[in-house]
Amino acid sequence: MRAPVYQLAGVEACYQNKTALMVDELALRGDQLNVVAGLNGSGKSTLLNVLAFLMRPTQGVVKFSGKRVRWDRAQLRELRQSVTLVHQDPFLFRGSVAANVSYGAKARGISGYVLQERMRESLELVGLSGFEARNANQLSGGEARRVALARALACGPEVILLDEPLAYVDELSTRIIETLLVTLVDRGVLVIVSSHDPTLGLRLNARTIRLRQGRLVQDSEPQEMYAAKSPESSVYAIL
Amino acid sequence: MGSFTQSVGTAFSLIFSADREVYAAVWTSVSTAAWSTVIASLFGLPIGMAIGLSDFPLKRLAVILLNSLMAMPTVVLGLLIFGLLSRQGVLGGLGLLFTPKAIIVGQSLLATPIIANYALSAVRGADARILPTALTLGASPMQSFTQLTNEIRFGMMAAVIAGYGRVISEVGVAMMLGGNILWYTRTMTTAIALETSKGEFAFGLALGIVLMLISFSINVGLSSMQEEHQP
Repeated sequence: MRAPVYQLAGVEACYQNKTALMVDELALRGDQLNVVAGLNGSGKSTLLNVLAFLMRPTQGVVKFSGKRVRWDRAQLRELRQSVTLVHQDPFLFRGSVAANVSYGAKARGISGYVLQERMRESLELVGLSGFEARNANQLSGGEARRVALARALACGPEVILLDEPLAYVDELSTRIIETLLVTLVDRGVLVIVSSHDPTLGLRLNARTIRLRQGRLVQDSEPQEMYAAKSPESSVYAIL
Repeated sequence: MGSFTQSVGTAFSLIFSADREVYAAVWTSVSTAAWSTVIASLFGLPIGMAIGLSDFPLKRLAVILLNSLMAMPTVVLGLLIFGLLSRQGVLGGLGLLFTPKAIIVGQSLLATPIIANYALSAVRGADARILPTALTLGASPMQSFTQLTNEIRFGMMAAVIAGYGRVISEVGVAMMLGGNILWYTRTMTTAIALETSKGEFAFGLALGIVLMLISFSINVGLSSMQEEHQP
């Protein structure tokens, strides 16, 4: 079993003095697909923002690859090069699909043949080969989400965080994204997906971390979820 | 009516015959307004963006102040700067009064809050996801800021154009600080005011037509940019 990529201890995050997340202890390893489940407002996006180093917790310790996060500008820049968050409603920059997909890789100083290859491979992985010259603002919702995913993949991150990647996407995009998530884990990328779909963890054979009102209320492997008897997890029992 | 028609005819003949006095005033207006807009943009765009992007205790007051400065009468601004640049003024030693530079100083101060306000609106109207998206893709704060500026570039250009439109059509600052000196500081607006008072209606009308054409072109540019800005 690999060493944890993330270790959270006593983490508390607030929005306008209101606690949005309280996690006593959480470790996330790189050889696993993780689903953060919960209802709207349960703290899923807040957790992803903390893990993406976009939001500093008000309390607690976050460690990344064994090192304590200091939340200073220099370290944050370095950490953000390792982690990429794809938002629930991703924003595509003005311009072509190619300009979007290459953005993060260029920010990391990648150029020339390597950049072209990364772009080609990323678009192929999300089933959008040949879309390079298309206007990013004229894509369908599902295509836009896949471009955002390709943009994240082209960065070659250690960690990919996806906020509700399957919300409002068609069947084809759902299939492509789900297959891709499993492929990424096989390649050693730590994938953390938030979802309000209680069946996603089982479908993807993922570890499921359940949040309720900002608190971690369940952390279980797929097989444990089948066996769980709590009314909260009854939805898994019927599958 | 006959007199008016005759004046219109004379005005067009002054424009098409490239009357030196008309075009000297046009050139002074266009060049002082251009320099003022460049200077005002250098201050106004960063001020507007900084207010829009940051949170500080007096932010609300800063926005109110910007809005108030936008509505400042040009003659009042001209009077204040006149006080500074006149011989007895703090900056009297610079000898700027009644020179094109004085007009540029005044018009720059006039356009800065306008450009800042437009820039502030552009930042406020920008998609809130731009900066977090750039940051999470590994961009530095500077690269993220550049990306934001790129996304709202039409709003920024609109700010600059609005500033130019404001200063080229103003009369108070140009009159008080430039002194309306022929071949030197006479702008289109000050010439219109002077020539009309002298009864040279056709001359004033010729300048008025040129001014309207410039304003029209500016608005065409602004509106096409806004159309292009629509998603």
